[in-house]
Amino acid sequence: MILRILTAVLMMTLLSGCWDNKDINHRALPIAMGISYQEGNYEVFLDIPKVTEKNEGIQVISAKGDTISSAIDHISMNLEDQVDLLHLKVIIVDKAFATRGLDEITASIIRSRQVSPKTMFVICDEPLNRFFERINNPSNGDGNEIYDFFQKNAGWNPEIAYTPVWKLFRGIHSYTNDVVLPIIQSGHSTAIQSVGAGILKNGKMVERLTNEQTLLYNVFDGNSMQGKIEVMGKATVQIVNSRIRNQSRFVSQKPELNSKLYLKVIVMDAIGNPSMEEIKTELQGLLQRVLNEIFNKIQRVQADIFGIGQHFRDNLSRDELAQWRTEYLPQVKIKLEVHTIIRNTGNLKLPE
Amino acid sequence: MAAMDEVRTHFSSYPDYVNQQVQIATETFTITGLKSLINFPQTIYMVRDSLLTASINKLELVEVFAGLGQTVPAETTGLISEILDGMLIAMHNASGICVSIYPVPQPNSRPISMPIMENNVGGGNSAFNENLEANIILLRSHLNTSDLQMKNYVMGNLVKSNVVVCYMESLIDKQMLGNLTHKLESKQSTDISNIKELSSVLEFSNFSLVTHYMTYELPQNAAKALKDGKAVLFQERLPFAIVLPSLISDLFVTEDDTNHPPIYTWLLRSLRLIGLLTTLIVPGLYVALVSVNPDVLRFELAHSIARSRLDVPYPAIVEALLLLIIMELIMEAIIRLPSSIGPTVTMVGGIVLGQAVVDAKLVSNLLIIIVAAATIANAAVVGFRNSYALRLLKYLLLFLAAFLGVLGLLTGLVIICAYVAGIRTLGVPYLQLIKPKGE
Repeated sequence: MILRILTAVLMMTLLSGCWDNKDINHRALPIAMGISYQEGNYEVFLDIPKVTEKNEGIQVISAKGDTISSAIDHISMNLEDQVDLLHLKVIIVDKAFATRGLDEITASIIRSRQVSPKTMFVICDEPLNRFFERINNPSNGDGNEIYDFFQKNAGWNPEIAYTPVWKLFRGIHSYTNDVVLPIIQSGHSTAIQSVGAGILKNGKMVERLTNEQTLLYNVFDGNSMQGKIEVMGKATVQIVNSRIRNQSRFVSQKPELNSKLYLKVIVMDAIGNPSMEEIKTELQGLLQRVLNEIFNKIQRVQADIFGIGQHFRDNLSRDELAQWRTEYLPQVKIKLEVHTIIRNTGNLKLPE
Repeated sequence: MAAMDEVRTHFSSYPDYVNQQVQIATETFTITGLKSLINFPQTIYMVRDSLLTASINKLELVEVFAGLGQTVPAETTGLISEILDGMLIAMHNASGICVSIYPVPQPNSRPISMPIMENNVGGGNSAFNENLEANIILLRSHLNTSDLQMKNYVMGNLVKSNVVVCYMESLIDKQMLGNLTHKLESKQSTDISNIKELSSVLEFSNFSLVTHYMTYELPQNAAKALKDGKAVLFQERLPFAIVLPSLISDLFVTEDDTNHPPIYTWLLRSLRLIGLLTTLIVPGLYVALVSVNPDVLRFELAHSIARSRLDVPYPAIVEALLLLIIMELIMEAIIRLPSSIGPTVTMVGGIVLGQAVVDAKLVSNLLIIIVAAATIANAAVVGFRNSYALRLLKYLLLFLAAFLGVLGLLTGLVIICAYVAGIRTLGVPYLQLIKPKGE
């Protein structure tokens, strides 16, 4: 018995590799990683909050390499701590890299398990070295802005797309799902500003959405979270509840999607005393117009960011599904109806 | 006569031995005993009074004398044993009849008072003390029923001591009772003067980490245990009741709970469960999160822990051990110290040492919180005998966490569960929650 226990203890100590454990204060914990791609070379930026008594902002370290991991190894070699990507929250890629395709890096992130699959992917609209230089400006705050900007319990807004790595991975490997990634750049009065979203088809950026379009994309995706919409200079409404019902069918070999979007909104402010009915029709018209714009856009670039194909999965065989983006998506007839309820019990009294 | 002389020689060097002649009418009586055990003036008065009354009323003096107590044969060893038991031996010189009289005893124990180790909020406050009779009185007054059975066992050859086994005839697990009495009877020659010797009589393992018995100072707790079908042992000179067997529920349930409204009873019990888990897991969790799996933490927390550990020179496990051992030392030292110095040490240990150790960058701020939480939580569990097991087992989790991180913590909990599941006391499993219905 004692021999058995001793063997167990011995094996546990010898096989666990516990001497390789590094304490938390000897690990560099980057919160954001920037990756830019130039002529076959990757440049990696790591945004590491300084671990000092006074909490003195962040440290941006960059290195170049043939591959991303060689660049990170290079940083780890020159840094006094071990780089530990487990706490990475945001991966920022530049436009060139996003257009070229994020499939390889996504696959390596998912497979290596060094980075959490909940990490956000973000596209930067300006050269990364300039972006990191600007957000590193100490007047901006404590250096966690890039992290807080995308936190749902902190700085995230429904105008910003929200796509973690696993969704991108799914989009790359699925026949019927694509994603949008937020596009940001360094701001003038704030550290970061959102400039819309990029549509990624199979991990390659093909088209862009504006901030307003992103909001409606989020609403349609069931992710609205108190978004505010401006209605044609008449009023601003806040979405408090949204629900969507989709009906899919094939009409003479052509896919057809009937979508009903139910919105509950409250009026935030109104200009020139519009009636409830006016706001309602304007709002419905606006939503229909913008969403149809987006639908046209995705049919043109053949990227299924709404996952419309999901609704036709049981009508199509696997081989046909493989053709979804090229054959069927451009033919989908989308009939969108928007039903709005103005819950005017809130901040403003309007004439009936 | 010869026997009496031998008794006198045996006790001749005893400073408390009294041998006195009493003359009533024409008869002479010899009275002997130990004055350390017997209140002599009162006892002699008691004996003389009844004999004088008898002689005045012209009764047969020798018969009245024999009726004062129990007639014992006049042989040396028997008499010595009676005297050592605290009896008064009187002998009628003419006929040589020896009588053992129950005397007015010398008080040898503190009066019934407040409990020292157990505190309660809602119930009575008289506690057991060192006197066997007083303990039985207390128990009887809490459990006034004919169902309550008591059996006395005189244990030991060289040193005799009484062990009283109490149980409820209709409620006790017969098999457990059989085991208990069999063990006590078969080892009656073993000297018992402490709990360890009693444990060895009851054949509890010396390497058991979890206690097999609970000790209660409060009679209501003992009465509750009896009603639950457990056995209560009183050992002479031990100021508490020993309750057999101890079960897992004894960690959370105390009789005092039932003096509160039921909601609070259950909330208090869940609080103790939280305390148990906290004291077991928290130190290990700290080590696991800081050195093996920092990815589990939210980033903000990870960052602030990393900041608090700046300049700490050791790995987390050494840091945790350092402070935990200091904490154990403080807890041990407080028991040893006179109560007048105790608070000073607590203050020095708790505040001065804690602050200094952080300022000296020997340990991180967070660890102080962790160790404090673990120590406080340890005390939330019922029964200090149980808290020893928790104090030890948290080190198991600590080491496993240092090797394997959060996974190690889970492994440790599984090991503890497996170990606890294997424990039996007198045939009753430790994890028994509901007593099985008998045939």
